Amino acid sequence: MNFDSYTIVVTGLGGQGLIRFLQILGNALMIKGYKVMTSETHGLSQRGGKVSCFLRFGNKLPAPIPMIGSADIILSLEESSILDVLYYAKPDKSTNLIISTYEKQQIDTKYPSLEYLLSVLYENSENIYFIPVSEIAVKHTGNLKAMNSVILGYILKFLPLDSNDLEESLIQHFSEKNLELNLKGFKEGQKLQSILSENE
Amino acid sequence: MSYDKIFKGKRGDEKFYLGNEAIVRGALESGIDVYTYYPGTPSSEVGETFMEIFKEVGMKWVERSINEKVAIEVAGAAYARGATVMVGMKNVGLNVASDPLFALATTRPKNKNSAMVILVADDPQQHSSAVEMDSRYFLKIFKIPALEPSNPQECLEFTKEAFKISRELKLPVILRTVTMISHARSNVIVGEIKPSGIRDDFNLSKEVNVALRLYFLELKEEHIYNRLNQALEISENSPLNKIENENIKNKFDLGIITSGVSYSYVGDTLDFLELEAPILKIGFINPLPERKIVVFLKQFKQIFVIEENDTYLETQILAIAHKNSLNVKIHGKDPFSYSKENKLLSIVGELNPTKIALALMKITDIKPKIDLNQISKKKYDTLARNPIMCPGCPHRTTGYALQKAIKKIKLISGKNIYFYQDIGCYTLLAFPPFSFANVKYCMGSSIALAQGVAQTSESFNIAIIGDGTFFHSGIPALLNGIYNKTPILVLILDNGWIGMTGQQPHPGSDTRYYKEGSSKKAINLEEFLNGTGANVNVIKHYENNDNEYFLKLSKLIYEKSLDVINNKNLHVIIIKDECIQKTIKRQAPVLRYIDNELCNNCGICYRKFLCPAIDISEELVYIDQNLCLGCGICEMICPNKAIHREEL
Ligand SMILES: Cc1ncc(C[n+]2csc(CCOP(=O)(O)OP(=O)(O)O)c2C)c(N)n1
Ligand code: SF4
Ligand code: SF4
Repeated sequence: MNFDSYTIVVTGLGGQGLIRFLQILGNALMIKGYKVMTSETHGLSQRGGKVSCFLRFGNKLPAPIPMIGSADIILSLEESSILDVLYYAKPDKSTNLIISTYEKQQIDTKYPSLEYLLSVLYENSENIYFIPVSEIAVKHTGNLKAMNSVILGYILKFLPLDSNDLEESLIQHFSEKNLELNLKGFKEGQKLQSILSENE
Repeated sequence: MSYDKIFKGKRGDEKFYLGNEAIVRGALESGIDVYTYYPGTPSSEVGETFMEIFKEVGMKWVERSINEKVAIEVAGAAYARGATVMVGMKNVGLNVASDPLFALATTRPKNKNSAMVILVADDPQQHSSAVEMDSRYFLKIFKIPALEPSNPQECLEFTKEAFKISRELKLPVILRTVTMISHARSNVIVGEIKPSGIRDDFNLSKEVNVALRLYFLELKEEHIYNRLNQALEISENSPLNKIENENIKNKFDLGIITSGVSYSYVGDTLDFLELEAPILKIGFINPLPERKIVVFLKQFKQIFVIEENDTYLETQILAIAHKNSLNVKIHGKDPFSYSKENKLLSIVGELNPTKIALALMKITDIKPKIDLNQISKKKYDTLARNPIMCPGCPHRTTGYALQKAIKKIKLISGKNIYFYQDIGCYTLLAFPPFSFANVKYCMGSSIALAQGVAQTSESFNIAIIGDGTFFHSGIPALLNGIYNKTPILVLILDNGWIGMTGQQPHPGSDTRYYKEGSSKKAINLEEFLNGTGANVNVIKHYENNDNEYFLKLSKLIYEKSLDVINNKNLHVIIIKDECIQKTIKRQAPVLRYIDNELCNNCGICYRKFLCPAIDISEELVYIDQNLCLGCGICEMICPNKAIHREEL
């Protein structure tokens, strides 16, 4: 893996905590010695609209927005939202697509079908991972709020970080009240196997 | 981020700062005494951070002013008196602040400590703005120096430099950022904090005289030709304007001039195209270093100017090339052509590496390994999602009650009814199912817009304005309407806070339960308006137990509307219903549940009222317990009494 210049695209809905997610991850990477850049869009998108953010790191300070066709990971916190940012996937199909199976339907609008989603995803990548984040968060921590920590645990294996590095960052970012919950979610995320990997 | 991290840490420490946080740190390292601001994305975090820390760090004064004009004036006087001050606002805030800033820019404080930096955060792509406005042209009108950082580290350094220049020249200096800088987070190495050092050794009367004397044109000349000339010399010699890859040649004979966030995109783009090119990075964006630019231009046959939004740099560089008889082709957005087809880059929307790469490919005929054209053609059937007000938002209740009332008024009066919107969370009432927006301009304009149509037609006109916006700039317009006896209905959506920019207090907010405590005097809107002699009604929904609230609100709107129509009276209704995001910080929400035995799926709560917490799955309507914030309105409007406070 080339960590000299690495790009993660994160997409989801306003209010899903994308910004804090990037902060925790970015902070750990900075302490590891990387030059890190995240971009955050606040504002209207926070009212349930779509949000896409970027986290980039490497040995040189990256720009806050990446080139299309250049992402190493695309992470979607809501299932069909990945369709909005698929043009960041590399044309050689090597981008890791990590997709939470959480679906947010919208009244009177047709939600993209799973068949359609899968066909499009396979067009773009050979590394597709669906993870039932909300189920795991609820089952193991009893709280949906731990969702993003589950994902942090899961994506650890793709990144040049140890469990300790991220744990340290979680401790810094959560108040005592929410820390235990999120550490638990983080542990569960590390154990997690995706429900659909490239061979299935 | 806990706020104290901003002022902790010693020289050389590495932090993971937002651009805006780095600006705060830079100001603290410059010995800032005073910060005044009006919130607006993407500039707000700077002010909110100062607000939190200013007592602890020993600053003299920080305030969230009533609007940007007042913010400039408060800080401007402190500057005249010898303080190191900073004022913060978003792009359009500068329009509001521009009047006093014009005059202020021509004064010359006598105190050697006086320094003033104005943060203006632009928002290309208007991520969270009503307009996409490039504030840089103001620099030419104000005739003051300005700096533009290109990453969070530079946010810190350029802020310090801006204070230094201001202190030296006795001119206010603008620090211009854009969303992708203010809201980028990155490694930042910090320096040493300098304590606030305001002193009392000044003589204000002299300084006021200076301002008055500037009405004499010779003083204006002194201002322009003396101090700006000094600024130009600083710009010419400043490391903020620097040439990178100086000795590199490429076969296209191409050099690049850029600034701010575009500079960081250029770096990535050149790597991607495997193209090497000298770059002149302009950090000192006014006045431009003509000599340095000429030296750079002379080396190339082609120049590509890359900047966000307008052609501020490009127009000046074209002029510099002409003035110095340089034969160099200057590419960019071409300020003198308005045909969209042949543009390399557009003045509309935000730049990114992809756009810049595609433009560079046209100039150079480089074909990268990755086919960007092909990728950018990819289109998928994604779900369109409109931004939507929070579950439990009081504006939804108001919108729904207004809709009910309007139906009846239309029927009875047969009038055409028009709505004038203002800027805030309630602007989202412009979307279906409410669609309340015939005209909408800028903050504070709704009340006057309604008057313009009311005075010239027989229609019925309703202004919808938030409490924050009313304080900011709605008051003069309302007084204008009262004075002219203009028959309009004004709805003040008093949710208690400035919702949209992060629920900050405004002069009417009751801050007793928050950090501000009783240090502020909340202005009673009702008493204030009663003093004007207007017809004022107030309806409250702060306590969550009035089951009749919704009906009462609708009835009140209906009755007052008829009086406007029939008797040509102006009416104001203050709707006091708190921003739910604030309410839930004080009390746990009482969630609602649906009894599916009683629910017949009429769709009123999730389709007509459109609470995003209410969903439907396999014909069964349910309330998402992770989203509901317990406003209780669905319970009031359900015709089947199927919504309850207890889980069944
Ligand atoms: C001149 C100017 N300054 C700042 C802003 C940023 N801004 C957008 S909406 C808003 C105020 C909203 O407050 P309020 O009217 O109380 O409505 P709410 O969001 O609470 O519903 C502000 C300050 C702006 N749009 N224009
Ligand atoms: S579900 Fe009902 S109580 Fe809950 S936020 Fe929506 S309207 Fe309010
Ligand atoms: S922040 Fe407050 S005013 Fe704005 S949409 Fe949410 S509840 Fe409504």
